[in-house]
Amino acid sequence: MNNNKPKIGIYELTGCAGDALLILDCEEELLDIFQAADIQSFLMAKSDNIDGELDVALVEGSVTTEKEIEELKDIRQRAKIVVAIGLCATAGGLQARFTDPQEWEKNLEKVYGDVEMIHTKALQSKPIDNYIDVDFYLPGCPIGKEQFLNFFTRLVGGSPPEKYPNPVCVTCKYNENSCLLKQGLPCLGPLTADGCGSVCINHNLPCLGCWGPVEGANLTSEFYLLKEKGFDTEYIKKIMANYSGTKNKTFFDQLEKEIS
Amino acid sequence: MTKISVNPLARVEGNGGISVTIDGKAVTDVKFTVNEGPRLIERLTVGRTPEEDVSMSPRICAICSISHKNAVLRAMENALSVEVPAKVALIRELMHMGEMIESHSLHVYYLALPDYVGFPNAIAMASKYDFEVKIALEMKHFGNHIMKVIGGRYIHGENPVIGGFGKFPTEQELFWMKSRAIQFMPFVFKTLNLFCELDYPNCPEDDTVYACCDPGDDTYGFWGDEILLSTGERIFRDDYKKLTNEFIVSHSYAKRSRFNGKPYSVGALARVNVMGDRLKNESGKMYKKYFNDRWKTNPLFHNAAQALEILYCFERIPELVDDIVQYSEDPAIVPYTKKEGTGTGLVEAPRGLLIHHHEIKDGLVHHVDIVTPTAQNAEDIERYCYIAAQKLLDSGKEEDQIRDRLELVVRAFDPCISCSAHMADVKKAPPDDWKNKINKIMKKNSPVFIGVGRPDRSDDGVGIQLALELRKHRGYDVFLESEIEEDETLWEDNSDRPLIFLDAVDFQEETGKVTLLAMNHVLNNVALSHKFLPIVSGLMNYKQLKNAYMLGIQPQSIANGGEINDSVKKAMDDVLAELLDAMDLN
Repeated sequence: MNNNKPKIGIYELTGCAGDALLILDCEEELLDIFQAADIQSFLMAKSDNIDGELDVALVEGSVTTEKEIEELKDIRQRAKIVVAIGLCATAGGLQARFTDPQEWEKNLEKVYGDVEMIHTKALQSKPIDNYIDVDFYLPGCPIGKEQFLNFFTRLVGGSPPEKYPNPVCVTCKYNENSCLLKQGLPCLGPLTADGCGSVCINHNLPCLGCWGPVEGANLTSEFYLLKEKGFDTEYIKKIMANYSGTKNKTFFDQLEKEIS
Repeated sequence: MTKISVNPLARVEGNGGISVTIDGKAVTDVKFTVNEGPRLIERLTVGRTPEEDVSMSPRICAICSISHKNAVLRAMENALSVEVPAKVALIRELMHMGEMIESHSLHVYYLALPDYVGFPNAIAMASKYDFEVKIALEMKHFGNHIMKVIGGRYIHGENPVIGGFGKFPTEQELFWMKSRAIQFMPFVFKTLNLFCELDYPNCPEDDTVYACCDPGDDTYGFWGDEILLSTGERIFRDDYKKLTNEFIVSHSYAKRSRFNGKPYSVGALARVNVMGDRLKNESGKMYKKYFNDRWKTNPLFHNAAQALEILYCFERIPELVDDIVQYSEDPAIVPYTKKEGTGTGLVEAPRGLLIHHHEIKDGLVHHVDIVTPTAQNAEDIERYCYIAAQKLLDSGKEEDQIRDRLELVVRAFDPCISCSAHMADVKKAPPDDWKNKINKIMKKNSPVFIGVGRPDRSDDGVGIQLALELRKHRGYDVFLESEIEEDETLWEDNSDRPLIFLDAVDFQEETGKVTLLAMNHVLNNVALSHKFLPIVSGLMNYKQLKNAYMLGIQPQSIANGGEINDSVKKAMDDVLAELLDAMDLN
């Protein structure tokens, strides 16, 4: 009876499970979601999961163990469309902060000591497109309900998902907030992909960048603007790195050369 | 050997599993594993500002993001000596109620109930329980709504900050929450009756120590500055390591905890056991109606305890709103200037005690330690699974039935595995499994052997005789039970070496069968506990206990007098040969 509905699998790699949880948080739409699509696998929600051919695989979380690489490659083989959902899958997440291998190793040891893990080998956190081709990205930490439902509806209906090319500032202006950067607060709105509804700024708080970098963001200009506002270089580098995963690495490397 | 796996275990939040190995009639191994990779959250925040830490560290777990937020805020505010206005504290408590309602209603209806009524998931369950599934969703949605209005969004909201909030919710929003909470009451009672009257199986049952925060003033609640145990002991927040004493086990990326060598449980059942008698109004009446001795020993009652807490939360929301509106003059945020300090924040997350410890130096985070509820429950999850698996095996149950029960047990703990696990694996041990295991143990470090038993009781003398033989062959470290009971230095001098106890162990198996068991499983199995073992385990620290094993031979008779049976003797020779070989190799 499910033959003509798209077969969808929702998978979790390493992360906080927030994106899968957000799908469960679509309470009013949840029954419709399960009716509109044939949800073949969704570990957080059901136990009769099937790992077969899929039309769409939604993958949450970043890759941090060798076992996850195999899992991910298997998902790619089975699915026509692979979508990275959430900051961990799209950019590597918070856990991708240690981009330098030696620094990462040192920190792994600080938390877990020299205990040898028997079930799988730990790796530096990478976004999923480091290992497989990804068709679409749905960022956010966690993803937003409105963006997800739009995306899901179009996908199930067979249309390509809408693009969100704007930074947070665009929605922020619609929301008639006054600019926090102008008030001297370290707001990352101009660098950050839109989709949250400028929620932090609506609460008088600066944007942290948790949707990840927006394409074409002028990182250099933001960096010097914050310098002008009196923030120190190390602090600016840190806040720009917190939620950008591995995505701004080229910029940081270049910046390092420029300022040294 | 059979291995029962539920790996990954569906319908728990995160990615983990339980695996159980069965060798004949004995459960020889139980492991609760977390399959998720390491995220190093405690290290990511080092070098960041306290404000960045407050935004980053709750991202450990989406399901408990509000609990993490409240815990890190309490820690930071303790460290930086920030005193928040009364209104801020009350609104944070209201926000916490939102998470409790959201998480508990998701768990009891969507994750736990399908098992008890025979459906693979809640959506399938909707065909028969249409009303419950729908209203439970609305209840969950209400919890989410509270979190969104106060926190800024459903998950990882950024509105709560050090010193208060970016923005307070409006009075109109608060009054809406109050009236909506009152509207839910009939369904809340229905929920309570459903989960308190559910037919919970008797197995597993065992005593444990329960721990939760004490809100003080003889009230029920979800945070405090002291940890209160079901034994009556109290631990101040900064001394939390007395309780948790974290260590890492190699099959899991979640860290684990253990109190005084005994596993302990946290969560809704722990809270109801420790402070349920403080519940007032309707939840007080319902506590008196439903709470009984089974709640003290059976982890499956976690579901009932969560339902009772749902009632508590719905009763608390109107009270909170009435209080909050009294403080119309309080500021949303207070400034702070301190740049140094160390603070601990204790909070009850839906699944149990959550501890955040943060140290600030020169305005930057210097050290972070976070102890999650699932990490604390991991030991008890394994222990109760062992008890359930062995008991069901003893009563002749099939692998499938054992697997189903293990899922029920793990799920009852409501493990949030992202904060540190999907679940049960039951496997049959290969023949002569003990040989592989003993070789692995001996490869790591040279073991100390201890012969146990009564030489005057026929086959029960096999442990002693085996020890004496072993001692004859080489000068390895071999002791007899009678030689070590008084000798505490033995444990200190050999703290890193595995301890292998040699004994006759009755598994109702064919005579002469050899079984190798982890010592903590032996201690969990009443039928196996030798009077000598509690004494020994009291002398060992936990690390040693984890590295101690029982090599048992199935006796035919342990009657007074009598010779050792031929099959037992043959098994003894086998063991001796294997041990000597293994020693030669290493």
